[in-house]
Amino acid sequence: MLFRLDDVQRHFGGVHAVDGVSLEVEQGSIQGLIGPNGAGKTTLVNVTTGYTRMQHGRAFLESDELTGLPAHRIAALGVARTFQNIRLFKDLTAVENVLIGMHTRFRDDTPAQLATLPFFRRGEQQRIREARQLLESVGLPESDANRHAATLPYGAQRRLEIARALALRPRLLILDEPAAGMNPSEKQGIRELIERLNADGLTILLIDHDMRLVMGVCKRVAVLNFGKKIADGTPSEVSTDATVIKAYLGTGGEREVASAPGASGVDEETAVEEAAFARRPAREPEKAILDVRDLTVSYGAVVAVRGASFRVAAGEVLALIGANGAGKSTILNTLSGLVRPESGSAVFDGLDLTSAKASSIVRHGLVQVPEGREILARQTVLENLELATWARRDGAATRRDIESVLKRFGILGERRHLSAGSLSGGEQQMLAIARGLLAKPRLLLLDEPSLGLAPQMVDEVFRAIEEIHQDGTTILLVEQNALRALAIADRAYVIETGRILLSGSGDELLHNPAVRRAYLGG
Amino acid sequence: MDFFFSLFSDPVGFWNSHTLLIAQIGINSMLATSMFLVLYSGQLSLAAPGFMAIGAYTSVLMDLHWHTPLPLNIAAGVVVAGVVGFLVGLPVLRLRGVFLAIATIGFIEALRLGVILNVPITGEGLGLKNPHADPLGGVPIVLLSLAVVVFIVWRLTKGRLGNAWSAIRQDELASLSQGINVARYKMIAFVLSALIAAYAGGLEAHLNFFVDPGDSQYGVTRAVQVLTFAVLGGSGFVLGPVVGALIITLLPYIFEAAGDYINILAGAFLILVIVFRPQGIVGRGGLALVRPAWWPRARVSAVSPG
Repeated sequence: MLFRLDDVQRHFGGVHAVDGVSLEVEQGSIQGLIGPNGAGKTTLVNVTTGYTRMQHGRAFLESDELTGLPAHRIAALGVARTFQNIRLFKDLTAVENVLIGMHTRFRDDTPAQLATLPFFRRGEQQRIREARQLLESVGLPESDANRHAATLPYGAQRRLEIARALALRPRLLILDEPAAGMNPSEKQGIRELIERLNADGLTILLIDHDMRLVMGVCKRVAVLNFGKKIADGTPSEVSTDATVIKAYLGTGGEREVASAPGASGVDEETAVEEAAFARRPAREPEKAILDVRDLTVSYGAVVAVRGASFRVAAGEVLALIGANGAGKSTILNTLSGLVRPESGSAVFDGLDLTSAKASSIVRHGLVQVPEGREILARQTVLENLELATWARRDGAATRRDIESVLKRFGILGERRHLSAGSLSGGEQQMLAIARGLLAKPRLLLLDEPSLGLAPQMVDEVFRAIEEIHQDGTTILLVEQNALRALAIADRAYVIETGRILLSGSGDELLHNPAVRRAYLGG
Repeated sequence: MDFFFSLFSDPVGFWNSHTLLIAQIGINSMLATSMFLVLYSGQLSLAAPGFMAIGAYTSVLMDLHWHTPLPLNIAAGVVVAGVVGFLVGLPVLRLRGVFLAIATIGFIEALRLGVILNVPITGEGLGLKNPHADPLGGVPIVLLSLAVVVFIVWRLTKGRLGNAWSAIRQDELASLSQGINVARYKMIAFVLSALIAAYAGGLEAHLNFFVDPGDSQYGVTRAVQVLTFAVLGGSGFVLGPVVGALIITLLPYIFEAAGDYINILAGAFLILVIVFRPQGIVGRGGLALVRPAWWPRARVSAVSPG
């Protein structure tokens, strides 16, 4: 056994980010680590590599105990990592980045540097040669070696980060989402690189949201959810494991899961929302309030959305579902005018969303409730709502509107004078939605309303969404919790790596095995 | 412009008539190099005038009371500053950015107001007489020292040590992941910069018959001046802060034609340099109206592809 975690715990306040996880990585294997957003994967990596102290448990690399060591010692012992959001030394060249990776393997060369003469600096020349070889071995072209890291294309930056980690000569390499934001051919390249490194004898712990990649290269896969390990086994065992499917596709739709292929043995605890069965036909609407065509959005070199087209008819609930990183939030941010698309069109009730200002989009009646809620934690509930209406000049009507949303979300009415930060996650989500309603939306965009919420709270939030819909507001819902979203949606689109994979009525998709594959690969 | 004209038409005369100015440029350049070291390792420390004061007072007091030779006096000042630097660095280097700056200002003010102005041996607020000063003879030593200091620091930035500093400046977390002992390398840079500042302080005291404990000498004013050397000159390369020190020390001569308006013109000049060369005079890239990194810009928060 090369690497072992023993009952590791890490809490932040009351949040159990990692809650008693044990994990073993065999010498020479590729171990996968997956889990929905917020499952605690990155915290586990941070605890393992010494950035964050573990509050309980122990970690071993072969016979060396890592528990409690500072991060630089753990790295020197042979645990190298890459970062989810690339952390290169941007102002240094590719070669210099790799040279820094060799830091622990060489002695101080200050006397040689002071002596200046090339004779004394042969060691340095040797290191530079080795750095170039490493760059070549991860597939970085010779011409990139002396370019500054910040100027390299995205895929090359990912590879450079791997080369820098390899420069440590690690015993264990932890790759934190190495394929994030890559297009399929780049992903294939990364996959080949990972397999080649492993064939050379390197043990790898791979964390990624791309199930095709994880299931494809890993011998074993461990699954985290809410800080606990819920499964550990071969890719095929894990991808058909009922608890895993539930963790990924969400709670509240268990009956449907049971009928999904490969998902037998799920408890039928809760009845599915009645609404899930009150179906309307799933045709593309003739008259759309929102019409999106061939939308392509990039962040620099990363293409987040690739030619998405969809329409929303007035009065419907439309869901966009898909795994983390699929491009869902990007679509919403583009519709709100926060991100500008590269190409394609988006028209909301006659307004061209690709060029209109964000503020005029809101005035036109398209309102987004952002992911992560973004409420003002120190202000009271009432102040949060009042701030949302500061541009309005009709005092009496504004107060009436605030009262009416406080009445709709009774719990907010009771807590109007409490600071928003003291509310539970679900209540905060309701506050965010209430704030959105004050802008009098005709189309309400909801981004991950169930993110990080306990199942009961998810129920309440979705009930509130249903009510708003019944009052005549059109809703575009983005969710990772697919089954829950499909249960209230009239129609839905499944998105994978920036493309729309399938569409249909919520009911059809609930039973479509392709939905599970979009999340769990296979 | 007479000033620069005489530099070329009569170098010997220029040297003779501006010896003190040249010495001041040398001292300031050393201080700027001390500042460069901490900035290069990502630490906004303003402690240099404090270590200067330690170097100056230790050296002059040893001369007054023990009559020891100058090299020994300066060396002792440097050692004391190194020890103090280490002790101050232990708690203070846990801080980053502007918090470190404020903590180091606390250090220099505590040293100046609390110790130098209060202890009888330092002459309290009146300063110290330094009868053995050698204003003219010290200049070659200053210039030679500057060359040596700049060379050493330049070489240090090129090796493993400098790579580690550079890495820490750009991303502490990533540096840790490469096995760099961040706390240790920050301390090395901090103490080295203290040594250089103390050395410059000792030399400067040797050029003056009087050690003045004023704010413009060892206080915040001096700290800000030294920071300005580095920012104006550019802190990416060793020579940047030296160029900054040169220009700022010469500002009164550069703008001497402006007469009473000299401060307005000098200020406008500094603003223009910062606006058009935010990376400093010595540095990568050409002239540009560059938006500094801290300038607020329309940005979408929490854009995650997903």
